[in-house]
Amino acid sequence: MKENLVWQVRHFVYQNFAKTTHPPSLEETAQHFSISSEEAAEFYKELHNRHAFFLDLEMLTIRMANPFSGISTDFKVHANEKTYFANCAWDMLGIPAALHCDATIEAKFTESNEPVQLEIRDGQVTKNDLLVHFPLPFSRWYDDLVFT
Amino acid sequence: MLLFQSEEWVEKWCKRNNLERGEMLTIHQVWELSKLWYHNRMSVEYHGRSADQVAEIFSKVGLKSKFWYIQG
Repeated sequence: MKENLVWQVRHFVYQNFAKTTHPPSLEETAQHFSISSEEAAEFYKELHNRHAFFLDLEMLTIRMANPFSGISTDFKVHANEKTYFANCAWDMLGIPAALHCDATIEAKFTESNEPVQLEIRDGQVTKNDLLVHFPLPFSRWYDDLVFT
Repeated sequence: MLLFQSEEWVEKWCKRNNLERGEMLTIHQVWELSKLWYHNRMSVEYHGRSADQVAEIFSKVGLKSKFWYIQG
């Protein structure tokens, strides 16, 4: 496996998220790099093992490429005239940080389920009184990424 | 990582799920962390980061307790 190509596949996945708001399929990645789906699957698994993104290993679809989510969540980020889904309360801020842009974020509070909207404008976040709870210490983040 | 409007709601959630409380950061702290953590994520040059680099980022935003300890 070519090391350089591993990171180019990672980059392609992230660029696809930024451009389309969702991850490329295995077939789209294979086509982009003129490789077989089996070879693309090996690159996906390698990047999953390196924690570069998180695969659904049965479907070989990308579940998370932090801060982007491959599925709908309670953390919607409107930026660059698109709507992205973030994995969690940290990642909803991670999307404008990664894309270096302003954003309007629609989220739901945990437990009360109430909606909340906040903004990233000119490098500042509104609603500074909100809290983000990190349930697990850093050493356990990769034990169960969905729970984390 | 979960979003809450107050510490009372965090306590409610922990109690209902029978979980210990983790660490709470203000949204401002998380935004500062996000900028350091994700600013270069779209670059082809980004190949992950070392334990030392992670520790440096946590330190820059004041996350120095055992909760943020990095196993190298």
